Amino acid sequence: MAAGRDFREDDARPGQSSPPPAVLITFLAAICAGIAGSLASGIMAWIGIGAVAMGGAYFASRSARPRNVSSDLGRARRLLLLVERGGGAETKVPPEFTEDWAQVYEKVNRLAFDARTGPPPGNQLEQFRKQVALAASFLTDGKDPLVEAPELRAGPLLPLLEGVKGSSSLPVVSQLSLGEEEELIGAGGDALPPDWPKPSGEGSGRAPDAAFESGLRDLVREIESLRTTLAGGPNGEGKPASEDAALRTPAQLVDAVVLTAADGIEDLAAGLMRANELASVAERVTNRATLLALNAALEATRSGSEAFAAIAEETRRLAEFAREATDTISRLSSEIEYKVGETITAIHATSEDAKTSLAEMSGSAAPVPSSARSARVQVVRLLDRSRELLQSFGSSDALDPADPDTRAREAITIRPSGEARNSVQDNVQNDPAPADKSPVEGILLIEGLKPGAHLDS
Amino acid sequence: MNLGTRGALTFRLGDYCFAVRVEEAGGILDADRLAQLPGVSNPVAGVAAFRGEMVPVVDLAEYLGIERPVSQGRGYALVLSRGPDRFGLLIPEIPRLVPGRDLREAPPADTDSELGDLFESVLENGQDQFHCLNYWRIFETIIPPAGSSAGKSASMERGT
Repeated sequence: MAAGRDFREDDARPGQSSPPPAVLITFLAAICAGIAGSLASGIMAWIGIGAVAMGGAYFASRSARPRNVSSDLGRARRLLLLVERGGGAETKVPPEFTEDWAQVYEKVNRLAFDARTGPPPGNQLEQFRKQVALAASFLTDGKDPLVEAPELRAGPLLPLLEGVKGSSSLPVVSQLSLGEEEELIGAGGDALPPDWPKPSGEGSGRAPDAAFESGLRDLVREIESLRTTLAGGPNGEGKPASEDAALRTPAQLVDAVVLTAADGIEDLAAGLMRANELASVAERVTNRATLLALNAALEATRSGSEAFAAIAEETRRLAEFAREATDTISRLSSEIEYKVGETITAIHATSEDAKTSLAEMSGSAAPVPSSARSARVQVVRLLDRSRELLQSFGSSDALDPADPDTRAREAITIRPSGEARNSVQDNVQNDPAPADKSPVEGILLIEGLKPGAHLDS
Repeated sequence: MNLGTRGALTFRLGDYCFAVRVEEAGGILDADRLAQLPGVSNPVAGVAAFRGEMVPVVDLAEYLGIERPVSQGRGYALVLSRGPDRFGLLIPEIPRLVPGRDLREAPPADTDSELGDLFESVLENGQDQFHCLNYWRIFETIIPPAGSSAGKSASMERGT
C-alpha cells in the first residue's frame, strides 16, 4: 500500500505519543548515580558512575525509538493493513473503524501527506470540498447523492455515502452477516474460501448511524490536522514543497508535463508526415489517371468512335473520383497539421504562463503566498462545513445547502486562446503558392491542376 | 459554324489562353520525364519520350516572353504531330478538351497582328477566347528543318 510510507513519517513525529521510557530510564540512572556518588567520594568512583549514567542514557535512547508507533496514525496504519489483507475474526478492530471508514481515513491521510510534501493542495482540497458540499446539498433535499451525482462514486466520500444509504435501505454487502453472504453467492458454508474477508464489526453489530457519526468525527479531526499543517504547525512541516530538494519544484513539474505532451505530439506529427508522403503518392497516381483520361478523350475525339468515347468518359470519371479523394485527403492532412501546430503553440503558451505565475508566487515578498492563504481559507471552510455536518447529524436537523458563493466559484472560466483560423483549406487554396511552403501545403499547390481535370467531352 | 475541327485542347499561359486543335495534338505527357540537353537555345526545354520516340519540347512561354506562374512541377508537354514529325509544347497545366460543337470563331484582336504569320485564328467558348497559333512555324523558327535554308545557315553559324 502506497500510504504506508506516509504513516511511517507520521509515526516518527515527536510530541504526539506517550512519554518515552527513555526519559524514565535516564532519570533512574541519574538517581542511581547520585546515590552511588554519595557513597563513594573518590574521583574514580565519580568517573565510573558518570560512565554508567551515560551508558544508561544511550541504551535508553536506543530502546525508546520503536515505541512511537503507538500513535493514533500508527494504529490507523495497522488497521488499514489489516483491512486490506481481508481482516479476520482475530483482528482487534477498534469499534470506531469499519472497512469503509478505514478507506476514508486513508484518503484523508493521503490528502494530508500530499498537502505537506507536494505542490499547493488547493486543487485536491477544493475538489474534496466541492464533493462534500454537493453531497450535503443532496442529503438535505432527501435525495441519494450517489444517484444524483455520479461523480461522487469515484470520490473519497463513496464509502461514507454508501453507509448513509445503507442506514435507510438494505445493508451493503460488506455489512451483511456471514450467512447472508452465503446466500448471495449461492454456496454453503463449506464452499467459502478460508481467506474470505469477514465483515468488520460483525455486520449488524453497530448501527449505520453510529458509523456515520464516528467516521465524520474522524474526518473532522483529520481536517483539523490538515489545517494545522498548512498553517505552519509546531513541527515546522508547513514549509513549501519547493524547499525540499528531494521533491520536484512546480516549474519542473510543468516542464515535465509539457515535455510529455510535446513527445506525444511529435509522434503524431511524425505519423502525419508519413500520411503526407502517402498522400503525395496518391496525388501522382491521380495525375497519371487524369493524363490517361485526357489522352483517351483526345484519341476518341480524333477518331470519332463512340465506343472509344464511352471508354474515355469512364476513364475521365474515374480520374475525377480519384482527384476528389486525393483533394479530401490533402485537405484533412493540412487541417490536422494546422491543429497540431496550434496545439503545440497552446502548450508552450500555457507552460510559459504557468512558469510566470510560479515565478511570481515564489518571488513574492509576503511571508505567506496568496495561494497558501487561499488554501488555508478553503480548509477552514471545509472544516466548518464538516462540523456543521456533524452537528446536524447529531441533532437530526436539516443540513444547510451549499453556499451560493461556493457554487458560483465552481464556474469554470475558459480563456479564449486567441484568434484562430477556422480552416487551413481556405487559406492555402486561395493563396498563391510561395516556394518556401511546407510539404503539405506544397501538395495543395497542385490544386492548380484541378481545372484541367474537368473534361467536357 | 463548322470550324473544321472536332475540338481543341485549351490551356492558359500567363494572362493568355491558347488552343491546339485536336487534329494537331498527339497526346499529353508529364514534363517530369523531360530530359534537358546541353548546348541548345533557351526555348528548347529538352526532349521527352513519347510512345517510343524522342520528341523535342519547346517552352512556349519562354518563346513568347510570357511570365510563367510558379508551380511545383515542371508542367506538362502537349505533343503536336504532323505526319511522322512531332514536337511538344511545355505548358504549366493539364489542358482542357473542348468539343468542336462548343467552339466558335472570333475576330482577332489588335494585339494578334503583332504575331504576324505565327497567328492563325481565335476560338471562342462562352466568354473565353483562345488563340490558335501556327505552332509548327514556331517550332521551325527554333529548330529549322535539316534541308531548309534556315537550317543551313544555322549550321554554318555553328561551324559544322
